[in-house]
Amino acid sequence: MRSVLRLFYLGFSVLMVLVLASCSGGGGGGSAGGSSSGKKLRIGVSIPAADHGWTAGVVWWSKQATELYPDVEWTVVTAETSDKQIKDLEDMMVKGVDAIVVLATESAPITPIAEEIHKRKILLINVDRGFLKPVADIFIEGDNKAFGRKSAEYMVQRLGGKGKIVILEGIPSTVNTDRVEAAKAVFKANPGIEILDSQTGMWNREKAHDVMQTMLLKFNQIDAVWAQDDDMAEGAEQAIKEAGREKQIWMLGGAGKKEIVKRVKDGDSMFPADITYPPSMIAIGIHQAVSVLRDGKREEIMKFMPRHMVIDVDMILPDNADRYYFPDSVF
Amino acid sequence: MKKWVEFFERYGVLIAFVLLFVISAAIRPDVVLKPENLKNLVNQNVSVGIIAIGMTLVIITGGIDLSVGSMLALSSALSLLALRKAVGDHGSEAAASLIAFLVCVGSAAAMGAFNGLMVAYARIVPFIATLVGLVGFRSLCSGIAQGGEIRSASDTVFPALGNGGLPVPFLHIDGGGPLVITYGMLLFVGCAFAAGFVLNWTKLGRHLIATGANERAAVYSAVPTKRVKFIAYALMGVFTGLAAFAQVTRMNSVASGTMGQYYELDAIAAVVIGGTSLSGGKGRIWATVAGVLMLGLISNILTINSDKISVYYQGAVKGGIILAAVLLQRSRSE
Repeated sequence: MRSVLRLFYLGFSVLMVLVLASCSGGGGGGSAGGSSSGKKLRIGVSIPAADHGWTAGVVWWSKQATELYPDVEWTVVTAETSDKQIKDLEDMMVKGVDAIVVLATESAPITPIAEEIHKRKILLINVDRGFLKPVADIFIEGDNKAFGRKSAEYMVQRLGGKGKIVILEGIPSTVNTDRVEAAKAVFKANPGIEILDSQTGMWNREKAHDVMQTMLLKFNQIDAVWAQDDDMAEGAEQAIKEAGREKQIWMLGGAGKKEIVKRVKDGDSMFPADITYPPSMIAIGIHQAVSVLRDGKREEIMKFMPRHMVIDVDMILPDNADRYYFPDSVF
Repeated sequence: MKKWVEFFERYGVLIAFVLLFVISAAIRPDVVLKPENLKNLVNQNVSVGIIAIGMTLVIITGGIDLSVGSMLALSSALSLLALRKAVGDHGSEAAASLIAFLVCVGSAAAMGAFNGLMVAYARIVPFIATLVGLVGFRSLCSGIAQGGEIRSASDTVFPALGNGGLPVPFLHIDGGGPLVITYGMLLFVGCAFAAGFVLNWTKLGRHLIATGANERAAVYSAVPTKRVKFIAYALMGVFTGLAAFAQVTRMNSVASGTMGQYYELDAIAAVVIGGTSLSGGKGRIWATVAGVLMLGLISNILTINSDKISVYYQGAVKGGIILAAVLLQRSRSE
């Protein structure tokens, strides 16, 4: 009988901890609201869960940006699947948010709920992965075609227009397609470049490692790897080192992971360069949401705000790497 | 005292749910008690809920079905392909949606029957037999979609089935429209009553319980245990097909990689939170429904209070609440 009570108390105490945690965290309510009407602004941020380096960067940057505006009541939630993301967005609408910043897990499944958000006149800011219908008030995306083109042009130039390369592809999606097709177009225009193989590493370090291992066995000579993503580049690097071929092969990752940027800065021979695809674009979206709503002049501001912002990508080279190096970031 | 213990054992999941609801309402009454939030609480869990109802029947026989999430994705994908073909051929969205519905439930029922054959007649343990589907159905779905999304060809009827419903008089959502009881919610309730009826009032129900409680004894009592198991997995397929239709109409598309991911775990968790024993032989549909709503409520609480609980720790809080809920109802010491 005593164990019954003990279990009950244990269960109850866990619940109490939750209550306490909730109450102690809610102390921000006393400060004055940010909007001119005196009502506290409520903004929701819905992003994919940190399942690889880049999305971890997105989560980190969203924390950085939301902390800049403590007067806003933030709802920041991550989702593993589009189903969970829809639930999150519905819960935000019930909460009565004034704006929602979304980096969609997938485009098509999120579109119906985005239409609903739009119908309710909630300011909707869409980052990186677009909806199928033009319902976002502002759409901010990275330029994936430029990503493919610029990185491939750098690779051709560094190889002197001649060499054998392999391509690592990401998760099948428009982001991957845009990047790979733009890169391939550049490579095809240079007949000296031979694409030995193109395989998917799913933007995942372990998967990229395994795929690279197989490609190293298949091909005796590989000059460079167009790895598209820094996580994948690190996986491929490990495979290359295990094969003892690190002197012959160099790589181009992407996204500006701090460890890779550091190695570009230090002049590492395997990583002569990197290319940005900043996860901080979520912070731009969050900042825009606040700046549009803060003074209660949404309509006036939206008259001149661009509806579509494309963020250019930059090559990170040893001489400019300092600008792209954020040692505090998780990514 | 003994009565008190029995009461806890029987209604623990309800008590836990009510307790949690009261706490969450106390923290944010302005949001939690909104009619729209209560509607969302049910509507967001329609698919997992319908699957959990079927899963209860399977678990009562002493089995388990790990393939349901992938089955949901594959039957949704086939349903959308049928819809696209039918809209292309005839142009009528209503007729095409009906065809899509039949394909969705039919294909899932066939997959369920396949699982049933594996378990009942080929005598492969359920965990492994349905693991085949977990991996295989997902892969077929990805193959059909080329790893990406399949988009619907219907812009009106199909999504209206997923998001529309019966308007509730006098209640409105924030945007000004009426609050609706969605068709999915009605389907969820219908499935719960149907399964409850089968389990408690029919011969099949008694056979399901007998098979799970003691299979050998059931055989000696002339229960056709193989057929009973086969039927349980086939019914699981039908329920999954219904859940898939609710989901695919709601999203009006299929994301081949992630649709239905982890649904098997959510459904099994809901069944266990409801007090159904994983070793089979006993289980209650209403308690599973309470388990589903309880899981949904936890997510709802975490999202609403995300300004207080960092996204990094939400999973830990979720795990802690599930643990507390299960401990709360386990009143009898073994």
